[in-house]
Amino acid sequence: MRAGTCGMTRPAQLPESEFEASLISRIAEGDESAFTALYERFSASLYGMAFRMMNDAKEAEDVLQEGFTYIWRKAASYDSSRSSPFAWAVMIVRNKAIDRLRVRRRLERLRDKVTTEGSFNQEKDETSADEPTLRERGALVRSALQQIPEEQRQALELCFFGGLTHAQIAERLATPLGTIKARIRRGLLRLRDCLNEGL
Amino acid sequence: MIDEAKQDLLVQYLLGELDPPMADQVRAELARDVELREFARDFEEAFASLAYTASPMAPPREIPQRILQVERRARRGTPPAPYSKIIWLAMPWALAACFAIVCAVLSVEQAQIRKDLISLQEKNTEASRALVALQQKIAQSESDLAALKEKNVLSELKIATLKAQIAAYKGATAVVVWDKEQKKGVLQLDKLPPPGQGKDYQLWVIDPKKPQPVSAGILSVPNDGLIRTNFHPAVPVESADAFAISVEKAGGAAKPEGQIILVGK
Repeated sequence: MRAGTCGMTRPAQLPESEFEASLISRIAEGDESAFTALYERFSASLYGMAFRMMNDAKEAEDVLQEGFTYIWRKAASYDSSRSSPFAWAVMIVRNKAIDRLRVRRRLERLRDKVTTEGSFNQEKDETSADEPTLRERGALVRSALQQIPEEQRQALELCFFGGLTHAQIAERLATPLGTIKARIRRGLLRLRDCLNEGL
Repeated sequence: MIDEAKQDLLVQYLLGELDPPMADQVRAELARDVELREFARDFEEAFASLAYTASPMAPPREIPQRILQVERRARRGTPPAPYSKIIWLAMPWALAACFAIVCAVLSVEQAQIRKDLISLQEKNTEASRALVALQQKIAQSESDLAALKEKNVLSELKIATLKAQIAAYKGATAVVVWDKEQKKGVLQLDKLPPPGQGKDYQLWVIDPKKPQPVSAGILSVPNDGLIRTNFHPAVPVESADAFAISVEKAGGAAKPEGQIILVGK
């Protein structure tokens, strides 16, 4: 792991991650209370992410419901050695959102939204004060993103929230595909390093 | 050390951009390469962390219960509560129902088509029978027409039997068939004795509109006395009411001068 450049304090994520993994294990056994608990832990972030992607509250709600339905049904397929519970849930909900985006042909409009309005720095934290962990994590990631060059951040943004593929981003930005791949890869590496140092 | 090309491939794999065969290859490599698996996990964690940059929002609290309610009902086999997702879940059943309805409609139509086909076949058979009957009628009509034509032909003919006017010619028979339209005829004579030295038999056609009988020619009598000859008047006649044979000087005469031996109408 590289030397720190981001200067973040490391939150107590590991125990949380293990607890969340145990919730998923219980969900796989049909534990409804574990399912509700996991929903309470993840839903605010995932709902915000879905809203950011869909730009529509009702559709974001549908995406969240589809995502958690998948989690309930496929909890047994979760592999803690491959991803953290939150990353697993994020990828599930994001995929559901992308499915909807593709179906509804709303990508073009959302691309514009992402590039013109979707600055990470302008986001408002609407969660209540009793969610300090979530706020802390949000602040950590935003801070990490500040360390990333603008063009890499833009590529990551289009990819994550716009639901665009590498090729689509290259087309949209009129930039060679290889350049886009490099920006995303470097952006992720930089983000990874910053988060690891911060954690 | 994981090279950049492999890192790019890994990112595309995590984002679901690879086609299935390529994704399978990466998956297999991840299964056997611990370093690559760790790297992929870090990438995914970094990528997923971007979710934190979206403003967290208070989610609908009823979603877990909504999901669990649907799942419980699904387990019991009862239909779940209606919401947008259920529409998609119910879509295959709706399509199946539509398919069943279409099949039923097609089945009914097929039965109707079979009935129609049988009906058409019966009509075809009837039509064939009618055609045969019609052809028979046509054949009969043609036969009748031929008979009528024959009758018509016959109606154009006049048949006259000439009778002897003198006892010496009682044994002779003479028949004239006269074609009214063609204005010509056929004479058949039998048992007619020779006309005598320096004399000839001459045939006459009697037209009421002519002042004198019209010559139809000299008759040459063979040894057996049987004559069958075509004839036509020397001058045109309008009608032939009667026929006569006379004995004239050799070479004939312009008008009857000798004895009339046979006459008939």
